[in-house]
Amino acid sequence: MFGKRIDYAGALGFIAFMAALPLVFGGNYLIGVLTVSVIYGIWAVSWDFMSGLTGRENFGHSLFIGVGAYTAGFLNTKFGLSGWWSLPASMLVATLFALIIGLPTLRLKGPYFALAMLSGAVIMQRLMLIFWEQTGGEEGINGIEPLIRSQLGFYYFALAALVLVTALLLALARSHWGLILRAIRGDEATCQAAGINVTFYKIASLVISAAFAGAGGALYAHYQLQVSPQLFAVVTSITIITMVYVGGMASIYGPVGGAILLVLLTELLRNFGEWRLMIYSCTLIMILFFLPNGLIAPTWRRVKARLGRPE
Amino acid sequence: MSALLEVSGLSKHFGGLQAVKDVSFAIEAGEIVGILGPNGAGKTTLYNLLTGFIPFDSGSVVFKGRDLRKLSPYRIAGLGISRTFQLCRPFVGMTVFENVIVGGLGASGGGGSALDAHAHALLKQVGLAGKEQLAVETLSYGDQRRLEIARALAAKPALLLLDEPFAGLGSGEIADLSALIRSVHADQGLTVMLIEHKLHEFMRLVDRVIALDFGEIIAEGTPEDIVRHPAVIEAYIGRGDEQAEEQTDVA
Repeated sequence: MFGKRIDYAGALGFIAFMAALPLVFGGNYLIGVLTVSVIYGIWAVSWDFMSGLTGRENFGHSLFIGVGAYTAGFLNTKFGLSGWWSLPASMLVATLFALIIGLPTLRLKGPYFALAMLSGAVIMQRLMLIFWEQTGGEEGINGIEPLIRSQLGFYYFALAALVLVTALLLALARSHWGLILRAIRGDEATCQAAGINVTFYKIASLVISAAFAGAGGALYAHYQLQVSPQLFAVVTSITIITMVYVGGMASIYGPVGGAILLVLLTELLRNFGEWRLMIYSCTLIMILFFLPNGLIAPTWRRVKARLGRPE
Repeated sequence: MSALLEVSGLSKHFGGLQAVKDVSFAIEAGEIVGILGPNGAGKTTLYNLLTGFIPFDSGSVVFKGRDLRKLSPYRIAGLGISRTFQLCRPFVGMTVFENVIVGGLGASGGGGSALDAHAHALLKQVGLAGKEQLAVETLSYGDQRRLEIARALAAKPALLLLDEPFAGLGSGEIADLSALIRSVHADQGLTVMLIEHKLHEFMRLVDRVIALDFGEIIAEGTPEDIVRHPAVIEAYIGRGDEQAEEQTDVA
């Protein structure tokens, strides 16, 4: 019980910290960086729910992000729908893509799911260029309206979305649903012998993961006010997986910290000019080498253990 | 009264290998039946066919009056057939208690405090009380076998299929585990099928033996009859060198 109270205190502290940052330092530049970091947080936490818990690694999370963002772009610019329609619509479209890829590949053992996700993202990126008349090609879709006029207001909205998504996924992960997903990671055959419909749980988890990634994509579209095929890039998926590893796989809250940390690190290193990527990569390699279980979640567990005997 | 499980004309081949050939038998509720046979006789394949992990070519399996043809493993488990695996396959990365809870989730659908209480009772029954919060990886081999049985029982099955529960155990552990199997059988009137080729304990535990060789039933009867049956003696003594080491024919 005490451990749980520390968790709540930690979560509140984190939210207060994130909310206070732009008020203390101010400046649109910082607000922009924080907004991007919070959206990456949504992507990382949604990746972790499916792939971290079940161990089925998704190398094409950018597919869901891209289709979510393009859905927002199309609805807003071509059909003139208000930005508020973007969120549910992008979740729906991402869900559809999750079913198209998940239904045939998640029944199978082996690398088919990971490969299908990777190819799906690459194919969608190409399709955006091939059908340039509709999609705007390399330029993408421009002139998307902001969801909330004030930049600070939008940041708080994105932060609230991150908190909501994380709380929801954390509650699911700590329920019997999460227990089953972790059991699937442990041994699928034993799950089936225990009467668990493994395929259903894997596909349903992918759908949940995709829906939130898509919503994050829509938020990103309404922040950048444009979308481009670059959203589908494989490097986005790899960045998200790195954030999850740094945060602590399967902990759900860890990847949020991992995402914010890495986005801020990227910005802080801008002063180093051309050395930036090298320092960034070395830092990552050091973290993953010395802390194979990640940085954020194991650190939090140690803090908890020191503050009092957890549960 | 019809039997709990009725298998007739069951066959399965893998390429040119006839793994199970025209096997027919029936299991009555409340029995403990042993499946005996040398390596490669088709014992584990038979289990995989009964539990839906491998589809069969021909024949039929009827459980509680229901045809199991083409049902997926989780549906068959849901109907009340629980199995263990020859190699322990616990859910790694989880605690002992969580392993048993997952075992019961498929059957109960919801879980809740009844499932928690059931899991605690099962762990006590199999002798793992006090080890609930340990990570499964840290358990000894014998304890993993006990956990495997607790996990299978958590689904409240009508029929329990044990695949070489004594493999790799010392004689003391075998005696304990036999006592456990006897007690679940006696307490809950559970029907048990048991694959084994450690003859000694096995013969004291079961009511009836079905002997397999090359995928076919070569003999059926009480343990006393089976050990004197010429076909069984031939299958065992004739290839005595092969029976020493059980290889891992994984499910």
